[in-house]
Amino acid sequence: MNRKNFITKSSIALGGGILAPYILPSGRLFAKTGSLKADHVVLVMFAGGVRQQESVLGRYLEDSQGVSGAAGNIMSNLFEGNAPNKKIAYGTSVSGMPNGSEPIPKLLTSSLEKSGLLFPEMTAQSAGHYVGLSTLLTGNSGTNQGLKVRPAYPTIFEYLRKHAGHKATDAWFIGNGIGNSTPLLNSSNHKDYGLAYGGNMFAAPVTFSSWGKEILGNAKTYTRTDLEPMYFMKNFLDQSFALTKDQISSVSNTDEEKTQIKDFIKNVFTKQQAGQLAMPPVTDTGDALNMMYAAEVLREFKPKMLAVNISGVDACHSNFTGYLQNLHRADHITGWLWQYIQNNIPQMSGNTIFIVAPECGRNQNPNPILDQNDWVSYDHSDANALRVWGLMAGKGVPNLRVGGESQPVGRLTDIVPTIADIFGVLDDVNSAGLLDPLAKSLYNRI
Amino acid sequence: MRNFKRHLFSLALLALLMNSCTKERVIGFGVDDAQVYEDKSRKTKKKNDAEFVSILYTNLYQTAISPNQLYKTQNVIYSIGDQDVANEMLLSNYFNTSGITIPLDASMRSDIGTFVINTFKRFYLRYPSEGEKAYFVNYIKNNASVTVEMVYTAFACSEEYQYY
Repeated sequence: MNRKNFITKSSIALGGGILAPYILPSGRLFAKTGSLKADHVVLVMFAGGVRQQESVLGRYLEDSQGVSGAAGNIMSNLFEGNAPNKKIAYGTSVSGMPNGSEPIPKLLTSSLEKSGLLFPEMTAQSAGHYVGLSTLLTGNSGTNQGLKVRPAYPTIFEYLRKHAGHKATDAWFIGNGIGNSTPLLNSSNHKDYGLAYGGNMFAAPVTFSSWGKEILGNAKTYTRTDLEPMYFMKNFLDQSFALTKDQISSVSNTDEEKTQIKDFIKNVFTKQQAGQLAMPPVTDTGDALNMMYAAEVLREFKPKMLAVNISGVDACHSNFTGYLQNLHRADHITGWLWQYIQNNIPQMSGNTIFIVAPECGRNQNPNPILDQNDWVSYDHSDANALRVWGLMAGKGVPNLRVGGESQPVGRLTDIVPTIADIFGVLDDVNSAGLLDPLAKSLYNRI
Repeated sequence: MRNFKRHLFSLALLALLMNSCTKERVIGFGVDDAQVYEDKSRKTKKKNDAEFVSILYTNLYQTAISPNQLYKTQNVIYSIGDQDVANEMLLSNYFNTSGITIPLDASMRSDIGTFVINTFKRFYLRYPSEGEKAYFVNYIKNNASVTVEMVYTAFACSEEYQYY
């Protein structure tokens, strides 16, 4: 080899050696950063089936139960509007007073609607919970989506990990239980994405339950010195076994990330024992607990993308009073999470976009089930169940109201391209060709 | 006539005895006795959560897990996205309890080769290859801080242990 050849080849080899570690999983050298709108996104999947009438329209009992003069807003942290002043049953219960007669005080000084971007009339692609949830996370209605299986289309976690180069602990899904398909929403089973790009997940009310404490809480705290040989031997064994890509059955955290997650779980149990977990002022629902653990994950990992699911409003199938109370509490805990980010996580405060949307609506007409107040209940299966809203607030989000009751704008499949747009990878996600063909970034709907 | 009948009966008895007592023939098929062990290349089925937990528990405690405990463990494991993290914590929790049946560190150090073979048989139901055995023997020999617990953790959390 002559001198010129030697210098050329060694320069290429040196350059490759330096650059190779930075190549993204998608094959690109650097993530797009030109149009990055914020460093963090928190998506509250305001799920369980929320009627437009009692939420964004502020109709309280007037539309649902035919109580004249009983309209009003029971979601003061999210929406503008005066509270109802008649037949108050959505609050907390005070001794000697009727059930639910004490509304929870508003937490935010300004509602998210007042400071953010509201799409008051969006279209859901399904009237069911699971397809609705997977739609929020995949940007595809997935009409052939089965139950108890992972989403058929890639989730936003996979898109971001593959195209924006996020690490596994940058992507979190906080589920509110292990029922149905909830714990499978952190990743699809799509051949080009899948668990290798999936997000981390806790079904927090189970992970941090008394069972969780019994099964995991007594785990030893290994030092880095202890862990190194364990992982060294394990990695040797794994290389020898060599799973194929389709056999991968777990999220791909690095050894360092795994250690951080284990330490986190142990710390939560310790804080739980000591009563040191930050929690919303009213914590009388499973949803509130889930939001509390979501806040812990945000504080510890400062993820790029976190989605948290709540579902208490589904009580509406048989208990309209319970539905109203849970809707009011869902507003309370959502406002609390936003406030918690602003006040307790300086790395995310001012640099986060908050997105809130239900996964489906509820029916126009009631079923015949009466609750303790003789109020009728509502299922979710008709056209009214496809009416939903979407709300965004945070860094650089314009203060606008787009569309209205007679002019729907936006689809739930828009949420994924919107998040991709925030992280500057909308083109890559669109190019994958796996979104709903009608989906658009909400920024492009304004 | 009477004598003739007696002789005939004796002859018939003799003929019967001669035909009934033949020499036993030993038939062999050229097959040697062998212990049957797993082959890692044939482990293609993933253990489900219940199988993994109950096999691990039985392996470590040498007794079956109760149905109630199994149910609770399955639920908690399922609630964590990274199954490796969940399994590692479960295992670490087990190691922090009494009643586990594992060799002493001194026993491992006194005959590392046998320990490695027994560990492969215990977790993988197979013998190590020569390369695997050499790796573990050398690694344990050259790292005084390596304990039985560390080796068992590496095996129990490895991908091969998830398959059968």
